[in-house]
Amino acid sequence: MSTTLPARQRPKQPLPKRPRQALRWGATAAGIAAVVVLHALAIQGTEFQPGLLVDGWKGMAAFVADAFPPDLDWEKTLKPGLEATLVTLWIGLLGTTFSVPFALLLAVLAAQTTTPHQAVYQVARAILSFFRAVPDIVFALIFVTAVGLGPFAGVLALICHNTGVMGKLWAEAMEEIDGGPQEALRTAGANRIQQLANATLPMVVPQFVGLLLYRFDVNVRSSLVLGLVGAGGIGLLINQSIKSFQFDAMLTHIIIVLVLIIAVDQLSAFIRRKLAA
Amino acid sequence: MDTPLLSVRGLAKSFGGRQVLKGVDFEVRSGELVAVLGANGSGKSTTLRCVMGIAQPDAGTIAIDGQELDGLPWRQLQQARQRTAMIFQKIHLVPRRTALDNVCAGALARIPTSQSLSPLFFPRSVQQEALECLERVGLADRAFDRVGRLSGGQQQGVAVARALCQRADVVLADEPVSALDPHAAEQVMALLHDLAHRENLAVAAVLHQPDLALRHADRCIGLLNGTMAFDLPSSRLGQAELDTLYAPDRVVAA
Repeated sequence: MSTTLPARQRPKQPLPKRPRQALRWGATAAGIAAVVVLHALAIQGTEFQPGLLVDGWKGMAAFVADAFPPDLDWEKTLKPGLEATLVTLWIGLLGTTFSVPFALLLAVLAAQTTTPHQAVYQVARAILSFFRAVPDIVFALIFVTAVGLGPFAGVLALICHNTGVMGKLWAEAMEEIDGGPQEALRTAGANRIQQLANATLPMVVPQFVGLLLYRFDVNVRSSLVLGLVGAGGIGLLINQSIKSFQFDAMLTHIIIVLVLIIAVDQLSAFIRRKLAA
Repeated sequence: MDTPLLSVRGLAKSFGGRQVLKGVDFEVRSGELVAVLGANGSGKSTTLRCVMGIAQPDAGTIAIDGQELDGLPWRQLQQARQRTAMIFQKIHLVPRRTALDNVCAGALARIPTSQSLSPLFFPRSVQQEALECLERVGLADRAFDRVGRLSGGQQQGVAVARALCQRADVVLADEPVSALDPHAAEQVMALLHDLAHRENLAVAAVLHQPDLALRHADRCIGLLNGTMAFDLPSSRLGQAELDTLYAPDRVVAA
């Protein structure tokens, strides 16, 4: 009986050919070709020429040499830099927290599991898409015409843009969590708001806080760029120092920003770790 | 009084052309634990979901304490449904909240919306009642523990307390012990049996373990392809009946 033979002594069965192998190879090759063509087009479209970089390295070297050593004059550079960095941080903070009520409302309306009606869902999604699609820098330029140059315009711009992004992220977080507790409360006779307050929201708190911290991190960096268009903060100082050829002051400001970004990143990582535990 | 608390007649339901329930009849009286047995796809869960109003039956009547639900005005329908509570296989509590807060949530239908936005606002009387419900399932000492820290059996106990806090007298349990280890399953079934007998609740539990049904249930109902296969006191249920449920091919062949 062949079944009594040890596995090694049994006659080897020939390995069957994988089915449709040629087709798969063809599809892979076509995919690679398509990616190569797209990159060729993109290189043309962006005038990507490494040769220019090699030829012009002297300009860069002069620029960097001008920036060293950083200007550490307390009265002239360091103090205003730190103060402006604090403003940047405040813009990012208010832009994040003040958008929470709007983002929460729109997220509830724009999540399949919590929306009261399909029409409301579509409208809420459209509003979120609009706020997300318009860049914060465009919002800043619009608000500058209303409230003038300064950090306030930056805060308003961040509130608008962040509402769109965080609302969408929160809506998706609510759609992804286990809907069981919500169903349990529905069968117990709880109304829609009660289900939301006692099942859905307490279930997503960790995800919500994580996303909020992530957005705070992004918004602090965005408020830097907003400074470039006149919304105050360290971005404005960096812009000014470049325009007046004070590259050593610019470097100081960039170093301060680097420290700020690392601090914010560490803080949000710390809070998220505590929350997960 | 001999009116059954829950009475189901001729329940029929199909999903996408496939008939899942083809006329299911049964009753659950107050003070008894009824086990609903059947193979996968026999229509056990669909039956419970129809009674709870999560699924809409195509035909048949459901009556609670003699009152037919079909055709009731909305307000009265809500009140009647309020008397039925559901226990889920996956428990469906909020792990981050305390046992007490989860039990209070069973009473939400009686709490004004403005007082139910956070457990901090729940009325004291409801919190008191929730604590008593935890006491009745033997978990009063865990009231302020987060549910996520409790064992699976304790969590299902909290879910039962939530049903009590809803003041339900009909409790429907959809595979309440399928996710629990044998010891915890035994405890939860003993609890359900106890509540039915001590507090005169009508309890129906879908089970996948015939031995648990035989030991804890007063009566067993067997569903086979959406029809009633048997409805017997547990003491009269034998291997022959179980074989009709779980090995119908073998019975036909014999």
